[in-house]
Amino acid sequence: MTVWLIKSFLLCLLNVAAALLLSPLCEGIMRKIRAALHSRIGPPITQPYWDILKLLGKEDLRSTGGVVYAGLPALTLGSVLVLAALVPMGTAAPLAFAGDLIVVLYVAAMSGVAIMLTGFASASPYASIGSSREMMMLLSVEPILAIALVVGAFKARTLALGGIANWQIQNGPSISMLIGGVAFFLALQAVAGKLPFDISEADQEIMGGPLIEQSGPRLALFRWAMWAKQLVFAFLLVEVFFPWPHFGNYLIDLLATIVKVLVVLVLVTVIDVVNPRLRIDQAMGYFMRVGVSSLAALAFAVIGK
Amino acid sequence: MTITDQATVTQVEEVVAARSDSAFLSGTQPHADTLHFKIEKRAMRAVVEGLVNELQARFLISVGTDTRSVTGQFAILHLFSLDREHLYVLLESPVSEEDQRIESITDIIPGANWAEREFRDAIGVHPDGHPDPRRLLLADDWPEGVYPLRRDFPYNFQPPPADNVRPQMREPPAGASVVPLGPFFPVLEEPSYWRMFVEGETIVGCDTRLFYNHRGIEKLGESVLTYGQIPYLAERICGICGFIHSSCYCQAVEKAAGIEAPRRARYIRTILLELERIHSHLLWLGIAGHIIGFETVLMQTWRIREPVMWLCEEISGNRKTYGMNTVGGLSRDLHNELKPKLLETIAQVEKEAIAVRNAVIGDSTLHARTKGVGVLTNDWAKKICAVGPPARASGVAIDARIDHPYAAYDELPPQIATEEAGDVWARVVVRISELVDSIRLVREGLAALPEGPICAEIKEAIPPGRVGVSVVEAPRGESVHFVLTGGDNRPYRWRVRAPSYPNLQALPAMVQQANIADVPITLGSLDPCFSCTERLETVDRRTHEVRVYSHAELLEMSRRHRRT
Repeated sequence: MTVWLIKSFLLCLLNVAAALLLSPLCEGIMRKIRAALHSRIGPPITQPYWDILKLLGKEDLRSTGGVVYAGLPALTLGSVLVLAALVPMGTAAPLAFAGDLIVVLYVAAMSGVAIMLTGFASASPYASIGSSREMMMLLSVEPILAIALVVGAFKARTLALGGIANWQIQNGPSISMLIGGVAFFLALQAVAGKLPFDISEADQEIMGGPLIEQSGPRLALFRWAMWAKQLVFAFLLVEVFFPWPHFGNYLIDLLATIVKVLVVLVLVTVIDVVNPRLRIDQAMGYFMRVGVSSLAALAFAVIGK
Repeated sequence: MTITDQATVTQVEEVVAARSDSAFLSGTQPHADTLHFKIEKRAMRAVVEGLVNELQARFLISVGTDTRSVTGQFAILHLFSLDREHLYVLLESPVSEEDQRIESITDIIPGANWAEREFRDAIGVHPDGHPDPRRLLLADDWPEGVYPLRRDFPYNFQPPPADNVRPQMREPPAGASVVPLGPFFPVLEEPSYWRMFVEGETIVGCDTRLFYNHRGIEKLGESVLTYGQIPYLAERICGICGFIHSSCYCQAVEKAAGIEAPRRARYIRTILLELERIHSHLLWLGIAGHIIGFETVLMQTWRIREPVMWLCEEISGNRKTYGMNTVGGLSRDLHNELKPKLLETIAQVEKEAIAVRNAVIGDSTLHARTKGVGVLTNDWAKKICAVGPPARASGVAIDARIDHPYAAYDELPPQIATEEAGDVWARVVVRISELVDSIRLVREGLAALPEGPICAEIKEAIPPGRVGVSVVEAPRGESVHFVLTGGDNRPYRWRVRAPSYPNLQALPAMVQQANIADVPITLGSLDPCFSCTERLETVDRRTHEVRVYSHAELLEMSRRHRRT
């Protein structure tokens, strides 16, 4: 029992460390691609690490007091790290025994809710506009994530993410899971806060929205959480919806997963670069359509396709 | 150069005479395209109504002048343009020192709102019945009853400092909250303060305070500088369309003095004016992209823009602020050896500009963000006297290059681009069409560049009391310069009206009932002019000591600096 606990704990640490330490690198790569498409040289790939370090070293200024407000950055990053432990990232999800995809969905929504609360807690009109936008985005995007994952659960007859992934590997691609995967990918753009859906931050309109009052170490934690979140979600997409080709050799499979995750992040960046920002009503209309389409995946799953 | 129809002149004279009746004082034609009427102020409203209703005259600007040293009275002058007839009409009324009031015309012409508030602030003539009596031009801590453009006001006078003053702003309607934009805001490159009254994300009204960067340029021109020095100051009015202002000033003085700039100078002016339009429109397109988060457009258009700046540097020695204009022509020639290089660069810019045009025109997400957004109706565009691309995008076909040809535009006619929709997208389309047309004009201008002198010889001093009106189509719309010549080798009155002046007045109607997310791009689509801001933090390079100055300290420092 003790050995099992220690082993699980270490595996959890591995996932958490990967999410923490590799996410700035991924962000750096994404910035570099963005720069290339802009005809710019761009910052070095390691720049996000320096950004985090610099912000962590700054004075901690708070616009309002209160325990909740003080704890929100840590809560945001913490929820993303718990999510990292619940999601298979190249290995089986280390914390899978603690919760299935219902828990995953709740934990995934937590960071968004925490950012929203931060905005409402800071007394700025821009922050409260940003937070209400964040809330609308959460309400539009969460159902899509849920529907897409439930399709998998329905097919594999299990609520465990690992179970769905294994079922996928054994049974190969299906129409319903492909539709679900595409819907999940489209939602990922909003989850990562990338254009055309960075509406709640919208620098040029509301100057960072919920995060307008955040600076120094607090901002560092929020940024770090966002980067880690996009990486974890990319892993979730790849492991659950696109686990092939599966070679059976652990190292090769890990490598294949990493390559696929990078492809997903590159696609996210390209979409980000070639789009202007949508208005919140336009984005909600768009996700409404995506949501309705993803119901088709559920229908296909019911008839066994 | 301009073709003025004698029948039109007679018609205008008849309208003015009929409407003013016994209040008619005099009527002159100081220049072929300029009619100057003096009427008593009691008839001003009637004559303005006649001009607007019967002749479709377009209001340009009001000029308040302190002519007490000459006539013993103030003079208020409303300047109109008859675009189709290529004619300027000046309506002047004397206002006595005892009764410093004149009836407001803002209810007839909504676009006269700021112009009237400005002469009230600067000269002290009160527009009776004006709907908005608040300050426009003067700082909030400026003392009451001190009028900076009066002749007895010294240009270097410093009013005593006042603390705890605030702009007079309107209260939001019941149930609405305020979202401030500015005075400093990410997408406002100049300080301007907008207060949006919102219900949810919908705008139900707005209020504004501007003129944070007022630099007293007109006063300097009238009291310190000479005719020959003012072009360099005029060029510094704007960081983007500086050459437009210096050209406009020089043309106004040339008209007043009866000087004709040589043909080669007029061609080179045209080429530089069009180069300015090219780099300004490319800059604007990038900023518009940036405002809606489309950084790729920003990066690519500014990359294309760079060679145009190099061209300007090749021609003038500077990327911006060329310092080439002088009264009577130019002080620096465009060397013929540069021509092949210029043509080559322009061809490359054209290729890339067309690629950008095709990419932008076909982008469906851009359509989603700009179509039906920030609509300026044709009717309101005319009433508020909008100019330039915002006017043309609302179906008002005015372009100073065609309506009042100057420089070499009579020989190099531009193609006017108009749209009917009046939304942000229409303004994008108009500017992109103009960008491509300007490239053609530069190419044709270079090919047809005549030989000859670049500056007219000015043999005698410019006589006082002459009037000159000049209009130049800047990238943002027409700039208007009015010059009344004086003694001492400097203008008695020099009035500048930049194109953003009327266009910004159109914004409140454009954002009514809009989403807060659409405000930045709507404001941006007017292409308001930029200026620089002050630094707030200093770092001592030897000790690396950082010092942050408070508002009070900065205020004190700037006051000390101005005194010394």
